[in-house]
Amino acid sequence: MDFQLPNLTRRDFLAKSSLGAGMILGAPSILKASAPGAPADEIRVGFIGCGKQHEVLFNAMVNIPGIRYVAACDIMKDRLGRTFGAIKSRFGYSIKRYLDAADMLEKEELDAVFVATPDFWHAPHTVMALEAGCDVYCEKMMSNTIEGARSMVAAMDKTGKLCQIGHQRRSNPRYRYTLNELILKEKICGQLINMNGQWNRALSSSQDIVSKPSILPDADTLRRAGFNTGADKELSLEELRHRFLNWRFYKDLSGGPISDLGAHQIDIFNWFMGSQPTSLQASGGRSYFKDREHFDNVMCIFDYDTPQGSARAFYQVLTTTSAGGGYFESFMGTEGTIEISEREAYSNIYKESGADNAKWDKLVQRGLLKKEAAGVAAGGSDAIASYESAPPDQYALPGGLSKAPHQPHIENFLSTIRGEAKLTCDARHALESEAPIYWVNEAAETRETIHFTEEHLHT
Amino acid sequence: MNSNESTTNDLGLTLGILLLRVWLGFRAIITGLEKFGGTKPRDVEVLIDGAANDYGLVETTTDKIYSLSNYQGVPGPLYSKFSSEPFIPDFALGAYNVVLGPALIILGITVLLGIATRISLFAMGLLYTSLTFGLILIKQDAGIAWLGVHIVLIVMALGLAKYNRLAILKKW
Repeated sequence: MDFQLPNLTRRDFLAKSSLGAGMILGAPSILKASAPGAPADEIRVGFIGCGKQHEVLFNAMVNIPGIRYVAACDIMKDRLGRTFGAIKSRFGYSIKRYLDAADMLEKEELDAVFVATPDFWHAPHTVMALEAGCDVYCEKMMSNTIEGARSMVAAMDKTGKLCQIGHQRRSNPRYRYTLNELILKEKICGQLINMNGQWNRALSSSQDIVSKPSILPDADTLRRAGFNTGADKELSLEELRHRFLNWRFYKDLSGGPISDLGAHQIDIFNWFMGSQPTSLQASGGRSYFKDREHFDNVMCIFDYDTPQGSARAFYQVLTTTSAGGGYFESFMGTEGTIEISEREAYSNIYKESGADNAKWDKLVQRGLLKKEAAGVAAGGSDAIASYESAPPDQYALPGGLSKAPHQPHIENFLSTIRGEAKLTCDARHALESEAPIYWVNEAAETRETIHFTEEHLHT
Repeated sequence: MNSNESTTNDLGLTLGILLLRVWLGFRAIITGLEKFGGTKPRDVEVLIDGAANDYGLVETTTDKIYSLSNYQGVPGPLYSKFSSEPFIPDFALGAYNVVLGPALIILGITVLLGIATRISLFAMGLLYTSLTFGLILIKQDAGIAWLGVHIVLIVMALGLAKYNRLAILKKW
């Protein structure tokens, strides 16, 4: 009898064994690939990009069990050293260090790769890692171009590997609860007609990033890594290093503030509305940072057609002021408004005075909402009665998240690798949501309304 | 005046010193113990319709716990202010930080139980004076006045020491 073992990789085993079927079938491959003594469901992780966002991800991962850190890659040796040191001091073992991602992917047996490189490298690194047989967690924005983002979806489909995009709010219990229970099930907002979101950041947080020159890569390394992309002249070392540290300011390297900050929140509009917008108007300017390629302040309006009727969303990203409540997304309906943010401090829920009191009281009794304060009229001699609406009562979510904001999203990714969950933001769904954002800068440049077609938004 | 009359007349003063010992003793013991106190966050699952929610929403509450690892003799904000004072050398501040909590607890117990009451009260007075010294340097007038009240109570207790009949070790 001719019996052949299925050709299972270690990664396949991770998913299959958790389903209860692969323990025997997967044994040969797991024995081959796993480090001696390593638990069978330990996920072997590599990092591409070891900068600030990598640190955010790593700090959100350190409390998640079942991860074996294997290797990291960055063109800057100092950053690699920091990652190496952080893992060594926390977990007591060493990882391999690489200056080239392709080299790392070729030499290491990795289950999952975390990509936290500049936006223009997201697509090449993600596609490369998927094709190397790894599941990938890639930071948002998917790419600096919509074509790049589409190539990631294509690679995910072609390889059959997982590709989670770092819109971490999609795994945040507060956001999931708000959408599923409060908006969709209990419909506390009534008809959702308007959305409003913002990320207001102070000038002090929007300045150029500088670093000690001695730890930065040399000119050849930076050219090889594409930091001269789009330049119309030979760049000096100083110019290359400025691009390396401040890639968010350059059009060929990133999508600018609307992509960097706005992507998280416009994603929430599209996710909560369950649809893509139909049109876009935008305005922006280099009002303060006049020598930057991208707009420093952008405002945009998206129109939506929903089963409930038309709706619109206003979004602003300001890099010259922090006033106005920081960052949040607000969903304004006829009966209530939910103002939600990754920061609990910026989150509020309001009941319109005309909404059904008994319904809201019951929600509080059931534990779905917490009542905070009854609405109080502002009063004063400047109040004109005919102008005023009755003040809304204030409520809050019944609980929050006690982990780092990125941790649930990474946990979802790792659980999906083990076959225990489904990705909350795979590349296709991320692109459905991100696609309209790629057109904001163009709309702001031309000052023309963009009416979205399949051509604009297809994934 | 016979001895019975004397004892009867002294009863108020005997109770007075006892009351001062109890107050000063507990004050010092609890203050010393608090230096080992800290908080530990605890997540409680949010209940919806009486059942745990499916989303992982939690309410974080904090429990107060005491442990050696929490120990901080001189509270953090005061420590950083004292450390920039030229009259307080670093080594002295470090030693004081280690000694303060245990010293308060030990002196509180000796005063409360009446073990070498006069010496214990005097040592406690010196300890509060040392605290006052630091507060003078950083101009914490309210704290200085508050410690001054403690010193007055200690002096009153020393003045009543000869009526200290309910004590374990009356010597010293």
